[in-house]
Amino acid sequence: MKKQGVKAASLLLTLMMLVAMLAACSGGGSSGNGGTAAPADPPKLTGTSEEKPDNGPAGIDTSKEVELQFYMLGDAPKDIAIIQDEINKMAKEDLNATVKFNYTSWTDWDQKYKLLLGSGQQVDLIFTAEWTQYQSYAKRGAFQPLDELVPKAAPELYEFVPKDMWEAVKIDDKIYTVPATYKEYVTNGFVWREDLREKYNLPKPVDIATFEQYLDGIKKNEPNMVPLSMNSDVKGNLMDVFRSINAKPIGATPYGIGIDYENPGEVYSYWGSEEHKQDLTTMKRWQDNGYMVKNVLAVKDTLQDQITSGKAAALLGDNPTRFNDTLIKVQAAHPDWKLAYHPFPLTNGIATPVHPIHNGFAVPASSKNAERALAFYEKMVTDKRYNLLTQYGIEGKNYEVVDGYYKMIGDGNSNGFPREGMNGWAWRNPEYMLFDKNYDGVKAIFDELDKIQVPDKFTGFAEDYSSYQAERAALEQVEKQYLFPLNAGLVGNIDEGLNTFMEKAKQAGLDKIQEEYKKQWLQYVSEQGIK
Amino acid sequence: MPKKHGLLRELVTNRIMFLMLLPTLIFFIINSYTPMVGIYYAFTQFDFNTSLFNSQFVGLKNFEFLWKSGVLMKLTLNTIGYNLAFILLGNVLAIALAILLSELKTQWFKKLTQSIMFLPYFVSFVILSVIVYNVFNYESGFLNTLLAKFSAEPVDVYNTPWVWVFLIILFYLWKNLGYSMVIYLATITGISEEYYEAAKIDGANIFQRIWYITVPMLKTTFVMLLLFALGSIMKGQFDLFYQLVGNNGMLYDTTDILDTYVYRSLKVTFDIGMSTAAGLYQSLFGFILIMTVNSIIKKINSDYALF
Amino acid sequence: MKIKDDQHMKWFRLIAFVVIIAASIACLFPFLLIISASVTKNEAIIRDGYNLIPTVFSLEGYQTVFRFPQQVLQAYGVTVLTTVVGTTLGLFFMTMAGYVLQRRDFKYRNFFSFMIYFTTLFGGGLVPWYILMTKYLNLTDTITVLIFPGLMTPFLIILMKNFIRSAVPDEVVESAKIDGANDFTIYSRIVLHLSMPGIATVGLFLALQYWNDWFTSSLFINDVTLYQLQYYLYNVINAMSFVAQMGAGTGVSLGDMPTESTKMAMAIIVTGPILFLYPFIQRYFVKGLTIGAVKG
Repeated sequence: MKKQGVKAASLLLTLMMLVAMLAACSGGGSSGNGGTAAPADPPKLTGTSEEKPDNGPAGIDTSKEVELQFYMLGDAPKDIAIIQDEINKMAKEDLNATVKFNYTSWTDWDQKYKLLLGSGQQVDLIFTAEWTQYQSYAKRGAFQPLDELVPKAAPELYEFVPKDMWEAVKIDDKIYTVPATYKEYVTNGFVWREDLREKYNLPKPVDIATFEQYLDGIKKNEPNMVPLSMNSDVKGNLMDVFRSINAKPIGATPYGIGIDYENPGEVYSYWGSEEHKQDLTTMKRWQDNGYMVKNVLAVKDTLQDQITSGKAAALLGDNPTRFNDTLIKVQAAHPDWKLAYHPFPLTNGIATPVHPIHNGFAVPASSKNAERALAFYEKMVTDKRYNLLTQYGIEGKNYEVVDGYYKMIGDGNSNGFPREGMNGWAWRNPEYMLFDKNYDGVKAIFDELDKIQVPDKFTGFAEDYSSYQAERAALEQVEKQYLFPLNAGLVGNIDEGLNTFMEKAKQAGLDKIQEEYKKQWLQYVSEQGIK
Repeated sequence: MPKKHGLLRELVTNRIMFLMLLPTLIFFIINSYTPMVGIYYAFTQFDFNTSLFNSQFVGLKNFEFLWKSGVLMKLTLNTIGYNLAFILLGNVLAIALAILLSELKTQWFKKLTQSIMFLPYFVSFVILSVIVYNVFNYESGFLNTLLAKFSAEPVDVYNTPWVWVFLIILFYLWKNLGYSMVIYLATITGISEEYYEAAKIDGANIFQRIWYITVPMLKTTFVMLLLFALGSIMKGQFDLFYQLVGNNGMLYDTTDILDTYVYRSLKVTFDIGMSTAAGLYQSLFGFILIMTVNSIIKKINSDYALF
Repeated sequence: MKIKDDQHMKWFRLIAFVVIIAASIACLFPFLLIISASVTKNEAIIRDGYNLIPTVFSLEGYQTVFRFPQQVLQAYGVTVLTTVVGTTLGLFFMTMAGYVLQRRDFKYRNFFSFMIYFTTLFGGGLVPWYILMTKYLNLTDTITVLIFPGLMTPFLIILMKNFIRSAVPDEVVESAKIDGANDFTIYSRIVLHLSMPGIATVGLFLALQYWNDWFTSSLFINDVTLYQLQYYLYNVINAMSFVAQMGAGTGVSLGDMPTESTKMAMAIIVTGPILFLYPFIQRYFVKGLTIGAVKG
């Protein structure tokens, strides 16, 4: 009986623990919400900002202490806690705020991004880019409009970012993100093994015709190599790149829409057109001649790995920065190999620097501290102390400046904060930026492209797909199933294959999508006066 | 006894049993039942600026994408087909292996092989897919290199959809047999030795002992696993299909299931309403199926029923 | 009679050995490939594919994973902690539930079984669950969030119920009741002992679930020191492949990271400890153990 009592008591105890745990959790919830409401305000900190009006933001109330939730994609550097402490010391004094740097990691980042914005949880600053769907999130109200907030809370930042950039990131006439001002190019270019080109006396690839001759030469002379490095993403890595050198598309337009860079007012269906058929014929030739592997749709290796391992000889397209990475890698491992690069813009003249949307920070709709968040972000960009600390770490510990170049102390394994370790692409400040010595090659290419620079006419367009959401999802499937094999040159009869694809695509609602897209685009073109 | 006091009376007399069940109930109420309000997302247009119940009601619009591409029927059939194969083959083979293993008397061999058969469970499909590519790719794959040695024609496995039906089932079994075998092994261990002794005395040989004692004893477990799996017949094994097939549209006719379709379609759309809608379709299907089957089984033998 | 049985036994043994050895080879072979690949130079894997014997030996895969050894050890620690605590708690709750749900004299057993099973059919999806965990329970960056959601699954409860059902005869419970034992005493003194193989199985499955979990970390953990092992390793790989695939525009470089060999090294690192643990579980799959327990 006694034992029974013990048993029953222990059972009850467990239950009570469970209940207590739950209570603690929900209790934590409420105190967490109230926690932001400051522990006993110190008397009027606005006074401090009056004392040093240069530092303190003029128009905002900083009397209440807040913790800002800052979200960036990717992984935090190892020493993030040290940097955060340093930053908070300054931010506490300057803005009566502290910040918590949160990172999503690259595992399922797109899902997490969606949850951060969709769950209404407290997020004060979050990274935006065209590849995080900035335009569509902005359009659907996920961010707070900044038009009035920025001049008030971050006047210096407002001046710092050029007017045309503020204009460029506008969605439906409202600013939703603070764009980065650093100019770079992510345009593509041919990458090839120059030593093999010299050895077999092949032409230098400058367009598709010469590139194809190069591939052919490799196929004939190096039977153990694959001429072209390719993988299963035959849309993004193959067709989009191919078109960007073989034609003059305005960008990687979706749904088989064709828009020429020179003539943005004219929209046609690239899919199913004679042009499309020609391109697919070329792909089939490449496949038949063995320039790409037969099972390309199952290849998961990265394009660059195939080059650095000596498996493949050429890349259809890569941007200057990544070419430089590959080059450094190859030079280290195989000093006898040579790698060369030809930027597409030198051939077709479309040298578009990245659009301001490409890197930015927004204030999500859920943020209760929008003003402070922007004031803090202003510090990150314009205050040299904040900026250097969050871009390069602590001078003398993480890096040193040698002859004006950035130099990492130790190596990637010992250094807890590599260059741009916080993925601070968006708060780069050209005035304070430090570069690694081996980045000079990229800068040389950028300089060359600067000379022929033309504007990006496409990225500013924010498509509103709410009226054809279902069709859009259905089309995605049809494209993978019927167009990808065509892209990879694996369908014997192109006419037939293309017809099947078009038929299925129309079934999924292609016409409706294209029509609606066209309407929105033309409206955008006329509103923005794009020619 | 008045009927309305039934529950109260039951609570009092079986209070200890209720208490023992309580943590489990609390867990499921918190972790599973409260989030179920989210099912309503399937019928609304998601809005960043208002709460779920203030969002605009859109009826069945979020379900449209399922049939727009015209493949819903095919996907449904594929999904059910694969899952049935997984359930039936998986259980039958697991039973066979468990029986074979349990009858072995060499302890170290038994333990060693059992451990080895558990190994594939730890191989993620990401890794499996690269190994599979290594074996089957056209130019330099292990299989074609071997065929070339015998001067045979190379085969293009990645462009041959029907092969994948077998490959996918094979890899599923390969990965999961060690796991499901453990369930049966444990059940066999629980069978009283006395039955076997008695059968031995009656002159039953090993095959008869297995067939007349072991197999019937495993039936409950088998039916339970079967029933359980039926409810999820429209779901599951996303990684297997996604990693092995991936972007290879050539194979979709035979290898596309609902989960991979939904994933691919919504990756570009980020719509909570549509993904909830797809989940609801799968749930309803499983729900109707399991209710039907369970009630039939209950009529036959209530011991086998799941609930 | 005896001789005939021996002959049958011989045949049976032969079949059993052949089948089991064949199955073992099928399971072992890819694993050997993985071990070999994990110590091969990444370049060589991409160029030559996988081989049973490394073509170019290199430990770069392991070096990449152990770039920050302290973080790996921390992640190991978190995983071990969550696995041990979660499995213990979960087993306690699930054995109780399983026992109650299989009692024929428990009137609402079908209702509650259904209530539990129902959660496998319907779910509100990720978003409401995420909101519940982060907003209402406030579990972001806690050990609790790594343990709580995985405590029980309907599958394991029903499995447990089934094991107890077949291992504990009704008569045993009845006679204990007559002796004046209450339900909890019956559970703790008799049922637990009788169903050891079942508990071992369910415990193993639950432990594996905790061990392999990366999803919970991925959703609710921002603090690197609370990463579970699988998630930590996943991140190493995902960071590499992300930068290679779409980091193009960002202009960042992760430097020279061996993708393939790292993947393989990771598989080995994750599997290793469980392999050492498994033999301990196997103890419970030896026939006759349960009978001894009843009598004892």
